[in-house]
Amino acid sequence: MAEIAKDGVLRLAETQLRVAGGRMVLLRLAVPAVPGDDAEQLGLATPEFQDRPFGPVVFERADSITTLLVSAETVQALVGSLAYDSADVLFETAVGLAIDGVLYQIVDSTASQASGEAYCYRLTLRRPMR
Amino acid sequence: MQNAKDTFYEILRGRLAALNPQRTIVVRGTVRPGLLVDENELLTSVDLPDCFRLDWGELQVDGEGALPRVTMQCVLAYETAGTALNGGMDRGRLLAAMDEELQAAVRMCPQFAAKMNYAGLANGTAAVSMSTNIWWGDSVFGKTVVKDDRLARTATVAVMSYQETGEL
Repeated sequence: MAEIAKDGVLRLAETQLRVAGGRMVLLRLAVPAVPGDDAEQLGLATPEFQDRPFGPVVFERADSITTLLVSAETVQALVGSLAYDSADVLFETAVGLAIDGVLYQIVDSTASQASGEAYCYRLTLRRPMR
Repeated sequence: MQNAKDTFYEILRGRLAALNPQRTIVVRGTVRPGLLVDENELLTSVDLPDCFRLDWGELQVDGEGALPRVTMQCVLAYETAGTALNGGMDRGRLLAAMDEELQAAVRMCPQFAAKMNYAGLANGTAAVSMSTNIWWGDSVFGKTVVKDDRLARTATVAVMSYQETGEL
């Protein structure tokens, strides 16, 4: 019964984000570092990046600080497929979110929970300095 | 100057790893010794605890001699929340241990090394020894700062070198 309720909350969050005009953005991740590679540690070589579709997402407001909502279902799918320990680790290690050609840095992440289960994540983003 | 910065990082990383092999960090899925150069890493809003984060501060160039003598301030920031299972009550002791490791690594003899040019690593070739040395002074420790549940400190080390002709 609890499992059904949990699934229901996850789907409700996903549906609400889609209905609210949710759109897809790209989560940019750096590929794992090469063990013992001094060139990377000295800034001589840059890591490769991979962009993963991320959404649907909804912007809560757009300013110098932008807040974005994404469903836990989307986050859990990425955490599972990329073998991250948790959503926090995923967001802390991500390079940022590519939105309309601009790379935003993820400053903070907060999970909204129902019955102890995350159903939605709120990400605080920082627009790059121009 | 870049070669002096790179050489000092390599020397310090090796010494810290030898003094305490258990002090490691995970950067993009790879375990490394617990020293990183902030300017060479991806931007992040998270300050990694229990490791040394190296930045380069003030720069002075003395052009009196045959070769310009460059003095750079190496700024090493570190912080710890202690052991979680101890409720962080050992954070002062762990910060003191990091103080001691840094002090020992910096003061380990010799306090100089041949300056190396690591640019070749980008093309898969080995680092090349240059004509002059780098040398450095002792660590100067700043005061302990409380950052939420962490204790933090910044130490500086003056790193000196001669700027060779044509060097970056």
